[in-house]
Amino acid sequence: MKKCLLFLAVIISVIFQLAWPDFLIFFNCKPDLLLVFTVSLVFYSDFKTALIFGILAGLAKDVFLPSFFAINTISFSLWSYLIYRLSSQISTENNYVRLFIVLVTVFLNNIISGLVILNSGSIIPVGIFLRNLIIPPVYATALSPLVFKIIKKITV
Amino acid sequence: MFKLPRKTLINIVLVSCAVFLISHSLSCFKNSTHKIFKPQLSFISLLKHELEGIIFYHRNMIKAEELGVQIEILRSKLFDLREIYQENSRLKNLLGFKQKSTLRFIPARVIGRSMDSWSSNVIIDKGKSSGIKSGMVVMNYRGLIGRITESTDSVSKILLINDPSQGISSIVQRSRQEGLISGTLGVNLIMRYLPFDAQITVGDIIVTSELSRLFPKGLLIGRVINVESEFSGLNRYAIVRPAVDLANIEEVLVIIP
Repeated sequence: MKKCLLFLAVIISVIFQLAWPDFLIFFNCKPDLLLVFTVSLVFYSDFKTALIFGILAGLAKDVFLPSFFAINTISFSLWSYLIYRLSSQISTENNYVRLFIVLVTVFLNNIISGLVILNSGSIIPVGIFLRNLIIPPVYATALSPLVFKIIKKITV
Repeated sequence: MFKLPRKTLINIVLVSCAVFLISHSLSCFKNSTHKIFKPQLSFISLLKHELEGIIFYHRNMIKAEELGVQIEILRSKLFDLREIYQENSRLKNLLGFKQKSTLRFIPARVIGRSMDSWSSNVIIDKGKSSGIKSGMVVMNYRGLIGRITESTDSVSKILLINDPSQGISSIVQRSRQEGLISGTLGVNLIMRYLPFDAQITVGDIIVTSELSRLFPKGLLIGRVINVESEFSGLNRYAIVRPAVDLANIEEVLVIIP
């Protein structure tokens, strides 16, 4: 039952991310709900579930991106593993720590995506590069308490 | 800090292999996933459209009044242009030019947008079953929008002209100066490779060039809003405002070659 609900949550996140309302788009940026979902699963469920749904969320994102290599499938599973390892070293019970982890993860994931695009030969103005690097992590972090609540309700 | 036991290491290797296998067979998942998501996306986009109509009722009412005035102005302009068009076709016939065939279109509706901020693409509700193929050019009544990059049975993906991986050979309509339009992920586009003495000024109209193999000649791209020198000082570049508001596309026309 829990797995079905989590699967449904992935589908809803994908639909939301594809059809994000225009009036909620700030500076042409929207939050990465699928990555926030993946990170929250590491906090509120066991590692195996988090890893499987992390891969699923990454795959769902890659399917709708123009790239032919599933970079997000790899990075999402990597983030799941690294956050799991980190949570065994430090306490992630505090909500501020969790928010900080979401912020850093989305920021690092954005750096990877940006570098992949730059590596493909595309030229992006510095201002737009920085905007895409900074605003989505802040936006995702601002929305993450809501995602935490939903994931907590599903997994508990 | 990260000391791994043997069992964990084997697990990591196995999971990594599985992830790499999945990532390399990404195209297999695309068709079925797009088919699954199409009805939900169509419904959500319809709901979103109606909700925005209700929320922004007052803004839409003022906009409708403004557009009403503009329609009247354009109607009178259209009348003048019709005269010019008829004169032009008469002259073309006289010169024995082959009459340019009119473009044929497939109309489609936008049901989804980019997943992240690093790419600029939209998903439309028509695919291979409607005759849409990868590589087809997409526009609307205002101008060029982009190109189909992927097409499954039910949906297609359009790479918009403001995506940084997009490169369009283009010319300045007034002076026939050639350049390359590329996206910036922002509102505007950049026209590069302009010589220092290029005849280009603010307000010039940019259209697709006949050198472009991917786009038909003469499609409206946008208008120059600024011309600046490159850091090296050898070339100049122009900032172009697209004719189409790429952030708010709802309906598109796919050109059948």
